[in-house]
Amino acid sequence: MSLFWIVIRQLAEIEAMATSKKVITREEWEKKLSDVKIAKEDMNRLVMNFLVTEGYVDAAEKFKNESGTEPDIDLATITDRMAVKKAVQCGNVEDAIEKVNDLNPEILDTNPQLFFHLQQQRLIELIRNGKVEEALEFAQEELAPRGEENQSFLEELERTVALLAFEDVTNCPVGDLLDISQRLKTASEVNAAILTSQSHEKDPKLPSLLKLLLWAQNQLDEKAAYPRIKDLSTAALEDPAV
Amino acid sequence: MAPENDVIGSYFLELWRLNSKAASAAATATTSSSTSGMSAEDSEFEEAPTELDTVNSSGGFSVVGPDKLSVHYPNVHLHGHDVGVVQANKPAPSKRLIYYFEIFVKNAGAKGQMSIGFTAPGFKMRRQPGWEANSYGYHGDDGLLYRGHGKGEAFGPTYTTGDTVGGGINYATQEFFFTKNGSVVGAVYKDVKGPLFPTVAVHSQNEEVTVNFGKDPFKFDIKKFEAEERKKQEMTVDNICIPQNASYGIVRSYLQHYGYEETLKLFDMASKSTVPPISLVQENGSNEEDTIYAINQRKTLRQLIRNGEIDEAFRKLRDWYPQIVQDDKSAICFLLHCQKFIELVRISKLEEAVVYGRNEFEKFYRLAEFDDLVKDCAALLAYEQPLKSSVGYLLGDAQREIVADAINSLILSTNPNAKVGKSCLHSCLERLLRQLTACFLEKRSLNGDQGEGFHLRRILNSSRKA
Repeated sequence: MSLFWIVIRQLAEIEAMATSKKVITREEWEKKLSDVKIAKEDMNRLVMNFLVTEGYVDAAEKFKNESGTEPDIDLATITDRMAVKKAVQCGNVEDAIEKVNDLNPEILDTNPQLFFHLQQQRLIELIRNGKVEEALEFAQEELAPRGEENQSFLEELERTVALLAFEDVTNCPVGDLLDISQRLKTASEVNAAILTSQSHEKDPKLPSLLKLLLWAQNQLDEKAAYPRIKDLSTAALEDPAV
Repeated sequence: MAPENDVIGSYFLELWRLNSKAASAAATATTSSSTSGMSAEDSEFEEAPTELDTVNSSGGFSVVGPDKLSVHYPNVHLHGHDVGVVQANKPAPSKRLIYYFEIFVKNAGAKGQMSIGFTAPGFKMRRQPGWEANSYGYHGDDGLLYRGHGKGEAFGPTYTTGDTVGGGINYATQEFFFTKNGSVVGAVYKDVKGPLFPTVAVHSQNEEVTVNFGKDPFKFDIKKFEAEERKKQEMTVDNICIPQNASYGIVRSYLQHYGYEETLKLFDMASKSTVPPISLVQENGSNEEDTIYAINQRKTLRQLIRNGEIDEAFRKLRDWYPQIVQDDKSAICFLLHCQKFIELVRISKLEEAVVYGRNEFEKFYRLAEFDDLVKDCAALLAYEQPLKSSVGYLLGDAQREIVADAINSLILSTNPNAKVGKSCLHSCLERLLRQLTACFLEKRSLNGDQGEGFHLRRILNSSRKA
């Protein structure tokens, strides 16, 4: 079929949709909503999955008792994982590396990028603490050889070492490396790697379901006017604009 | 007693009814391949093609083998209206992401004019798929794709004896796709809605083709293809922005709604110590007051029910919320009496259960609203091992949960500041999930019943790794 006909067909479809967009009243929509069956057990599992993946170990333990929901991971492993995460968040990178290796030495062996980012974070912490000589030595001995293996590592290393060249690091072009967000980024990378090594998903399911809801509403918007949920935190239905 | 309480009570009776003996009997009767699960899941079941249709096949030009999975053209073809076309016995199922089937060319015959494709019901059974309106075909002799008329478009390679060729529908992209020997040949826009039959055709002497509707492994890695298509969709969805901490807030309000007080405490404590600490913007101060209304009492009652201490729960309710249990014929009293009876059966105090039932069930027997459920309860007495019986579900955690949730909702409804409506029935999370499910269903029904539904259970059971 020629492009011309494709365009004509699509135009016809758009026109048809514009004129025949179905209007679903609040009453009709609420009837449809009430026909949906959501099992309590499934919601409990969804909440448990969030608690476990996000590392709320104590809350997960209690939730198990209060709701009778079994976690999909050994709760003891959460404590270890959170200890690693916390260590990175607080800047104790050496400590974090040691803990990861205690947990499972394969995690860093099989993730050169993660290992590099942890070492980079360690360098950042040395620079933050004004340990210039130690930082230089660490960069040259530990990080530079890794940079030879991988071009992007080398660029990252150069960017990080550049921190040493500025008097006022917070306002320099690479100052973002010293920001708390850099620690959080590294911490969540380690967190994800540990979860993956435990055959668990690295992200909780709930946020992707919320995204899926917004996506589904957008899709349905093309075909119908119906009560939508705009504010996820209240889940209030808003009447369709007709 | 406020009529509102009846609404709440009846709601939980309906939840119970979904698990009841009658409901599960109905579910197994309607679907041949019964899987335990929600009724919504069962309605998704679609029959898929399993063999070739021998009734509605082209009048004698081709011969379908006795296994109904092969087709053969014994004669010399004379013109364009003696094609040996065979449709599958069922149309391609559409409430899914991908449908796919394959053919194997056993013998390309005199001219190698076999083809694979999809045709609408009522297709003229003497023509090649693709030659007529609402039909699509990938032809072996010229490698062209035909859709709707006798002139083909450049598409892919030709195919002949020894080749495996596949035809599929991608419902997400609204495309047909074809494969040859395990690789995708190409895809083409599907501009027709409604049922489509997998179709094969043979049209020169001695052509023979076998069909695989999935009974044998496919040559093409359809699982991988499907996973990649799903990944593409997920990427689009992943790019959508949601407010930071949205999930956090929803989890928190869930814990509040159901009165999981202890969990909530630890959850709040932990979120204060995270880096950076999570703070929820409270739009107005009164909001907080409302949502954790009576949380301690709700927690206590839930624990009592979960532990099977029904007498104590009754006592506490009479103390704290006499209005809820005032009417002894209300749904909530019915739920509690039944649960008490169930707990007695659980600990094998059958004689006591009989006495209790005689005293309490009498008044519910003749009320249509309760009749079937009373019978389920009473039936527990008939079995030596009630747990393994058709009413064994009553002894499960889910039954206690229904009672506990009913009490929770009724207490929430006594909150003078509660907003009217269903907020005492459904948590915010539940309302979001209902909206999500309804959107998927509506979207599909406006799209000619094509595409996947949303199933929380399926998502929970799948693990999507990095």
